[in-house]
Amino acid sequence: MATVFRLPDIGEGLTEAEIVEWHAEVGDEVVADRPLVTVETDKTQADLPAPITGVLLHRGAEAGSVLEVGAVLAVIGKPGETWEDGESWGLEAPTVAVTASTPPPEPAAIGTARPRALPLVRRLAGEHGIDLDRIAGTGPGGRVTRADVELVIGLQAPRRESAPRVERPPLVGTLDEVAEHLGSGPSVTGPMTPAPFGEAEPVEGERTVRLTATRRAIAEHMSRSWREIPHVTSFASFDAERLLEVRRALEARHGRPVALDALMVRAVLPALRAFPEFNASLTDDGDLVVHGDHHIGVAIDTEDGLLVGVLHDAGRQSIMDLAGMVERLVQASQSRSLSRQEMSGATFTLSNIGAVGGGMGTPIIPLGTTAILSIGRAVATPVVRDGAIVSAMIAPLSLSYDHRVIDGAMGRRFFAMVVENLEEPALFLA
Amino acid sequence: MDQVLTPEGELLRESPIRDDLIKRLYRAMVVARQYDHKSISLQRQGRLATYAPFEGQEGAQIGAAAALHPDDWMVATYRDGAAMWAHGFPMDLLFLGRTGDERGGAPPADVPCLPPSITVGGHMIHAVGLGWAARIRGERRVALTLFGDGATSEGDFHEAMNFAAVFATPTIFFCQNNGYAISLPVAEQTKSETIADKAVAYGMPGVRVDGNDLLAVYEHTLAAVNRARSGAGPTLIEAVTYRIGPHTTNDDPSRYRTDEEEIVARTKDPIVRVQRYLESKGEWTDAWEEEISQEAARIVDEAIAKAEAVPEPEVSHLFEGMFAEPTVQLAEQEQWAGA
Amino acid sequence: MTVLTLAQALTAAHATALAADDSVVVIGEDVARTGGVFRVTEGLLDEFGPTRVIDTPVAESGIVGAAFGMAVAGLRPIAEIQFMGFSTPAYDQVVNHVARIRNRSRHRFTAPMVIRIPYGGGFGAAEHHSESWEAIYAHTPGLKVVTPSTPADAKGLLLAAVADPDPVIFLEPIRLYRSVKEEVADGWTTVEIGKAAIRQEGSDVTLLSWGAMTKETRAAGERLAADGISSEVIDVRSLVPLDADTILDSVRKTGRAVVVHEAPRTAGFGAEVSALIAERCLYALLAPVRRVTGWDTVFPLKRGEPHYLPSIDRIVAAARSTLEEG
Repeated sequence: MATVFRLPDIGEGLTEAEIVEWHAEVGDEVVADRPLVTVETDKTQADLPAPITGVLLHRGAEAGSVLEVGAVLAVIGKPGETWEDGESWGLEAPTVAVTASTPPPEPAAIGTARPRALPLVRRLAGEHGIDLDRIAGTGPGGRVTRADVELVIGLQAPRRESAPRVERPPLVGTLDEVAEHLGSGPSVTGPMTPAPFGEAEPVEGERTVRLTATRRAIAEHMSRSWREIPHVTSFASFDAERLLEVRRALEARHGRPVALDALMVRAVLPALRAFPEFNASLTDDGDLVVHGDHHIGVAIDTEDGLLVGVLHDAGRQSIMDLAGMVERLVQASQSRSLSRQEMSGATFTLSNIGAVGGGMGTPIIPLGTTAILSIGRAVATPVVRDGAIVSAMIAPLSLSYDHRVIDGAMGRRFFAMVVENLEEPALFLA
Repeated sequence: MDQVLTPEGELLRESPIRDDLIKRLYRAMVVARQYDHKSISLQRQGRLATYAPFEGQEGAQIGAAAALHPDDWMVATYRDGAAMWAHGFPMDLLFLGRTGDERGGAPPADVPCLPPSITVGGHMIHAVGLGWAARIRGERRVALTLFGDGATSEGDFHEAMNFAAVFATPTIFFCQNNGYAISLPVAEQTKSETIADKAVAYGMPGVRVDGNDLLAVYEHTLAAVNRARSGAGPTLIEAVTYRIGPHTTNDDPSRYRTDEEEIVARTKDPIVRVQRYLESKGEWTDAWEEEISQEAARIVDEAIAKAEAVPEPEVSHLFEGMFAEPTVQLAEQEQWAGA
Repeated sequence: MTVLTLAQALTAAHATALAADDSVVVIGEDVARTGGVFRVTEGLLDEFGPTRVIDTPVAESGIVGAAFGMAVAGLRPIAEIQFMGFSTPAYDQVVNHVARIRNRSRHRFTAPMVIRIPYGGGFGAAEHHSESWEAIYAHTPGLKVVTPSTPADAKGLLLAAVADPDPVIFLEPIRLYRSVKEEVADGWTTVEIGKAAIRQEGSDVTLLSWGAMTKETRAAGERLAADGISSEVIDVRSLVPLDADTILDSVRKTGRAVVVHEAPRTAGFGAEVSALIAERCLYALLAPVRRVTGWDTVFPLKRGEPHYLPSIDRIVAAARSTLEEG
């Protein structure tokens, strides 16, 4: 095996040397430690000795040329050996594996329930009155990301130009920015978000948590839905004054609480009837099955996260019946006794995220349906009414629908009718 | 400048040592020179990092080392491989150090020789402290420090000389005046007539000897060692010699001195004069020279083979010996570095 | 137990070490006859003799270099530098020899020695007598760096430093030499190097300091408490190794941190502490880490000192600003 002699750096940081003179021709015998070649560097002229005794098989460069440090200078072997360029030789420059390394990720706060969120995100949430404890973080180790908060904020309209703190750059995303988020991270406002962070016990460092079978099924459904359904999400808001008035009146008359969901289901039903594509299923074969009955899924906040209970045959129920059904679903879900039947078969879903302080979002359409409507928290907001600025309870709405089935025009018309009904309950109560 | 043996190999007075010991020291100089030549060759092949040759200084280094007891301290520099090896520092570790490996700085437990000092001058005071400690501990050890003419310009030379004299520490300051501080000739480094003269200012003896004269170096170093061991304090020895090679393998001496100067210097070679002396006494033959030359080659080859067989260091190598026990921070960093 | 000032506690520690271990020697300028410029080594010459309590010529590099040789040879020297401003001539010895011999020789040679350096300003001293260069030493790999702020710590840390197998830079806050008194255990007593001390527990903000600045920091904590703000006051006391756990646990609890030192701001040790907090508990932070430091100026002479040294007001203001962040 011949020895390859590469041009060494003989002067602490040299990169090249000029060949001044060879002291042996190819084929000559060379002796270890005797001068083989004279080179000139930036610092000095030096004789480089042969590293071993043998026959010079190859010269890497001739006198007058410049060779880079590390290049083949000479090959020395046994008599009769030959050298061909490109062969693999021993004595390669030793390589040291270098791996990028960083300190380990920050462990979670120990002994505090402080949500993991960057100061920027905390401020953003603070400016919008959002409680970080109520947001399930999607970042590393459950960290609440800026995107998470922005999704919750949605596009509160009119956008809160609150406290004009000029020294701070605007942090609420523009419509485009929010749209960008829509296309990236998972939603936190769909009907089936992970458990709220604030209720999870503090974790130390990262760990792997095996999801329950139910959660895994939900996760799979969410992923499939997001993968397969081209979502379009529209946003709107409505003046909830009348709806709340009606609710108060009903509660006063019947002497028991009336879930807002019940009223909302009733408000949506006329629109579902007018636009049956919203109460339908797209089969794997590409056929649209329009359902005759209206089974409305409602999202319920539980310790295990948001669950969807189904108000079967909602189209045939009175408001007070619906209110009773919602109440039962809530109780059953809280006692974890919701049956599989009570959790499946929805033909349309309504998600009242206002109950958990939510604003706008991009709800994910449950598989097997074509749309989902979420309603955010009603917030006292100045509005112009009869030429005067007055305070009104304005609630945000987010509607996602399957764009394969429903086009934008139909979506807008459906949404307009829903808003109209919500703002004037007489239209659906009549 | 005191001389015992002329460049022609004539004794000017009785030799301080017997011929059989001279033969052993001659052999040591031959080994040292082969080590020096081999180091340059290996550096030119890219197998050693920068090397500072000592060719021409073998007489001074071997002569000084020979005057020490194996338990005495030696504090030397990067150009003192001959002295260190003669004092017991394994040659493979000297090579290993020059390949760029801290493991070359760990001599066996019974070799009281610090790793070579790379900064100039700061190490001389260590020989003061080492000798001082020996005295406080009631030991009869002395400490010898080697340095060059260049180091005598450092402030630390003054502090070391002064402390040693004031506290009468058992310290031998062994200066190899090899003519240059890299490129600056001695005449432009100091206006003292000699370096030995400087001892006067500190109240200690200063002697100037022919550093290429193994016998003179040995004689005066032994006297200084005995003086130190007796509690009489330090001595400055100026061994006048010449650096035949460049300052280091990065240096080009033609920029500051002539070929003629080097040729003249070679006529005063420390090895040749001992050879001539031994030959005149019938103690040197071609056959013996061949024998010790081959033996030297074997010693040097075995040493470099042993050094090059040391495995490449792992990440842990960096963190080794920062403290007796690594701090939390170092333990973390070692983990990250190795991740 | 005896009530001692910080300086007296140091003297007691020296005497204890010299009595306990024959290999301990004290070396420095004026340490024997006069007992040192701060009288920290007072009485040691009489008790232990000139072989072990050594007055040297004025030569800091010589002191540290000779002490290094002694340490390599098996002694345990305690070297005194009179003021931090005079430590630079010895810095070459510290960085190029003392700090690295164990690593360079793979444990074959070691330098178990203590270099005591009085430091810090606030007493109207001459130029070069008020410097705080702890970061320079903390930045030098191979050194341990500690600074006591109480008499008990002074004795315990000095004895721990003497017993330590590696070189320890022992920084003595001049301003506290005689201004603090407390009961100190008699005989051999140590404080573990590498452990911070929580001087006051609290929940709203963590105040971190070391050396003389612990005094102002504790006072700031008391003033904040009067306003209902609960501060956790930590005396870092060991810069290398740094007790990261105690610091981080506290900041995770309070969410706010103020680091106080009188050394210049840029690349001061407070920057290291701040970076540590940012790296390890950013998500626990409710406000940016604040530094209250000296300025990036030459340390002023007497009349300028009040403008330079971090005051209680500045520390309180910094703590408040972290609370305003929410």
